[in-house]
Amino acid sequence: MLKMTHLSKVYRTEVVETYALRDFNIDVKEGEFVAVTGPSGSGKTTFLTIAGLLETFTGGHYHLDGIEVSQLNDNARSKIRNEKIGFIFQAFNLIPDLNVYDNVEVPLRYRGMKGAERKQRIMDALERVGLASRAKHYPAELSGGQQQRVAIARALAGSPRLLLADEPTGNLDTQMARGVMELLEEIHREGATIVMVTHDPELAARAQRNVHIIDGQVVDLSEEPRFHAQNARVADA
Amino acid sequence: MMQIKPILAALKRHKAGTVLIALQIALTLAIVCNALFIIRQRTEHLSRPTGLTESNLLAVSNRWVGADGKATESLTETDLAALRQQAGVADATMINSYPLRGGGWSLGADTKPSDKDNVRRPTAQTTLYFTDEHALSTMGLKLVGGRNFRPEEVRWVDPRDFETNVPVIVSQALATKLYPDGHALGKPVYLSSTKPATIIGIVERLQVPWTGNWAANFAENSVLLPFLLQGNFGNYLVRTRPGEMARMTKAVPALLFKTNRMRVIPEERGVRTFAEVREQAYKSDRGMAILMGVVCAVLLAITAAGIVGLTSFWVGQRRKQIGVRRALGATRHDILSYFLTENLLIGAGGVIVGAALAIGMNLWLVSHFEMERLSLAYVAVGVIALLLLGQGAVLAPAMKASRVPPVEATRSV
Amino acid sequence: MFAYYFQLGLRSLRRNPLLTALMVMAIGFGVAASMITYSVFRATANNPIPQKSDQLYAVQIANWKPQDLEGELRPALTYTDAMAFIRAHKARRQTALYPIAPSVIPADAHRLPITADSYAWYGDAFAMFDIPFLYGGAWSQAQDDAHASVAVIGRELNDKLFNGIDSVGKTINLDGHDYRITGVIDDWDPQPLYFDPVNTGGFGDPIDLFIPFTRAIDLQMPTAGNNNCNTDPGNGWDNWLRSECIWIEYWAELPTTADADAYKRYLTGYAAEQQRAGRFKWAPNVALRDVTDWLDFNKVVPPESKISLLVSLGFLLICLVNTIGLLLAKFMRRAPEIGVRRALGASRREVYMQFLIEAATVGLAGGVLGLVLTGLGMLSVGWVFDEQIARLATLDVSLVTLTVVVAVAATVMAAFYPTWRAAQVQPAWQLKSN
Repeated sequence: MLKMTHLSKVYRTEVVETYALRDFNIDVKEGEFVAVTGPSGSGKTTFLTIAGLLETFTGGHYHLDGIEVSQLNDNARSKIRNEKIGFIFQAFNLIPDLNVYDNVEVPLRYRGMKGAERKQRIMDALERVGLASRAKHYPAELSGGQQQRVAIARALAGSPRLLLADEPTGNLDTQMARGVMELLEEIHREGATIVMVTHDPELAARAQRNVHIIDGQVVDLSEEPRFHAQNARVADA
Repeated sequence: MMQIKPILAALKRHKAGTVLIALQIALTLAIVCNALFIIRQRTEHLSRPTGLTESNLLAVSNRWVGADGKATESLTETDLAALRQQAGVADATMINSYPLRGGGWSLGADTKPSDKDNVRRPTAQTTLYFTDEHALSTMGLKLVGGRNFRPEEVRWVDPRDFETNVPVIVSQALATKLYPDGHALGKPVYLSSTKPATIIGIVERLQVPWTGNWAANFAENSVLLPFLLQGNFGNYLVRTRPGEMARMTKAVPALLFKTNRMRVIPEERGVRTFAEVREQAYKSDRGMAILMGVVCAVLLAITAAGIVGLTSFWVGQRRKQIGVRRALGATRHDILSYFLTENLLIGAGGVIVGAALAIGMNLWLVSHFEMERLSLAYVAVGVIALLLLGQGAVLAPAMKASRVPPVEATRSV
Repeated sequence: MFAYYFQLGLRSLRRNPLLTALMVMAIGFGVAASMITYSVFRATANNPIPQKSDQLYAVQIANWKPQDLEGELRPALTYTDAMAFIRAHKARRQTALYPIAPSVIPADAHRLPITADSYAWYGDAFAMFDIPFLYGGAWSQAQDDAHASVAVIGRELNDKLFNGIDSVGKTINLDGHDYRITGVIDDWDPQPLYFDPVNTGGFGDPIDLFIPFTRAIDLQMPTAGNNNCNTDPGNGWDNWLRSECIWIEYWAELPTTADADAYKRYLTGYAAEQQRAGRFKWAPNVALRDVTDWLDFNKVVPPESKISLLVSLGFLLICLVNTIGLLLAKFMRRAPEIGVRRALGASRREVYMQFLIEAATVGLAGGVLGLVLTGLGMLSVGWVFDEQIARLATLDVSLVTLTVVVAVAATVMAAFYPTWRAAQVQPAWQLKSN
């Protein structure tokens, strides 16, 4: 489903060149629930932005659902994001001007879906997260947990093959976090592939597989419990 | 002021906003300077005195029907006699035109005979007013030298057939132009003619009928001739007794129609108080001044609003940064002066470009329209006004910025 | 998608009411100022006879020595030259004309005489200037030649004197002389008054009365317009006719450029002949100007109109610069939203669409405000301009359309840069900002 080989990402400024990811390899199979962990600055967010086609990478290969994405232009990448990927952000990132219904509608609009089908899907997704009754509310009128559930509904509405979550419970208290986590597990059981970045070991433990990133490289705890100490350096120019 | 370097560095990162504000200030300065200048040009002669005593003065335009040429002499004399006998009328006269009316005679005036082919330019351009011995008292002109016409000096002439070798009264401005030594009384003046008129009187001031720029260089050069012009068209000036103006405005045309109904006094502008004459003569000047004034006011308001809008946006964008500065020990005053200085720098850039634009725009207007060169004082005033406007506009958002609490630094989003 | 974006745009208008109000006001004021002054300019720069403006030519000839001309041919002719051109009859149609001011004496002795705006010209003029008739028609060339006492009157005068009935064949008394009416003109009000901008300044009330030029000369009717002399004409009417004083305008209808070229050759030949005869002591200097050229030459568009149009356009420009800044602020404030939309699959194109349409809705609101202000401004046009010009400035359908189109187009143009900036927002912005 998601396969990166020898992938690298370099940030250049006038003065230095920083490797955020270096010789990065990962392979997530269809239907897997993978937790990505790692310390601050290890590159896990960079990995997620590249995986979600939010950013381009510098070298290597990335196959998403069998498609080599490095050659795609902005339009094609937008289309893939819209059709195949669902995002769940730590800060929810709902659009404050739009009510719950309209927020969930955004990706469907870009897909050019007919009004009736849109409505059906939105209501289904909201039903799923238990917020159908709040469709007319604005994000500011909801609790953090509810906002994140709306964000999940928005991600689900388009029936994406791949769900990318960035610290989905980071801004929530324990109880709300548990609810969100249960929801993710349920979605996974129904067949979606989920990649979740977190630094909460308890959460990570609930995934099928854990991938650990340190200094821009993968340490797959479940498959290769070795520590590539020799590469664990930030390279400079 | 030690903050200038970091401010410049910050501005470099907001090029678009900086350029937009500076550009707006520049364009506003250019337009406001020129608009103010047009206002001054248009209003400066609004208050120019005509030399007449303008209160209690009525102007009537009259056209005889079925009579022309010599036949109009007796008709007009009957009119004038009737007018002068009317209770409420102090005096009345007939004249070919009057100040601010907009049409009349103009020709060259000289101290030497004019040659037949007009090769030499005359010393002065002047207007001719054809009238009688009642003109001075009716118009309320102030005689500063010499005497008025005597009744026996006044005669009727054919407008296409007369010689100007007669006694004349001139305005002080023309007298001084012709005889700079100040001794014009009794001297000759040649009115595009080989035969001289003799100056017998000087009035303090008497404006020409035109208000346009083309007449600006002889605006007060006038000659009164003791001639009444034959023909079917003429103007009566009527001086009413104090307090009788409103009544006379109706009584005078009624009296004239009663005297002889074979005449036309136009419905529009046929009977006008001199206040109306003045208002109509300067209508477009006043209107243009008002228009430019409104444009300036709205323009300054919009520019100020634009500065408020963009600065507010910047403040919003930099809340965290401001919080960090506050956390690091910046006082409220430091933050306030940061934004004021930033605006001053942008404003300075804007007014430099704007001053150049203002002058360029004026030069273009000068070359295409009857317009004078822009005085630099206007640019200077405009520059100061816009800088102050900028500081005023930025004050509210800057105050808001200065109230950002230091704790903002710790907020994540 | 358009409807969706339009809806979003409307919603966004409500979101930062202050910022939105500022922009709408800036656009509204800018557009209104431009439209008001444009309406005046449009009226003054109007082509009053578009179907024939390139076939009608005003004739000029230098009958004064070069220093008296002050660099430019004068816009009027002497009686001598005008009559020579009439006699030569080199154009398809032609007329000499000058304004007169006769008084109309009503048949009813209880009614007061009135002055009608009048011209003395030739019968050809009616067909030349495409003047429509309600009743009857022009007088004939034979009547011109016979110095006949005939007249054509305007509809308004016909209403006043004859209560609007067909008055052809009836008589009208002008200054004590009777004239037989040959025709009544239907509504005819060309503005500018191109056939005589010299004496009207270009604008004035419709002309009500016409009589034959030849008859007016017989009756020694002086011009009610300008008369310019470079030398003393001497005394009396006949001396004036023979003098070098200029007071007549002359028009020739020349359907093709070949006709115009031929006519110009004729004029040059005439001037050369006058030079040989000793009347002109200078080389031939003649001009033929068509209607637009003639109006231009006579500076019919008042400087007020041009200056205020220019100032207004500058005003609009500043308003747009202002709008660019405010739109930039408005759009960039929504960078998070743009990031989310990009992450959820919006392409750059869609971001462009959304924000340009949003700008268009701002422009539309500005246009509506502009329309209201333009309407109010129309009421006060009379403050700045002569009433004869002010009455021509009207808020018609085309101006309403133009107001809205200019407001929307200008705002969308102003939105290009802010929108480009908005489309540059990276979808990854969301994650990185945490």
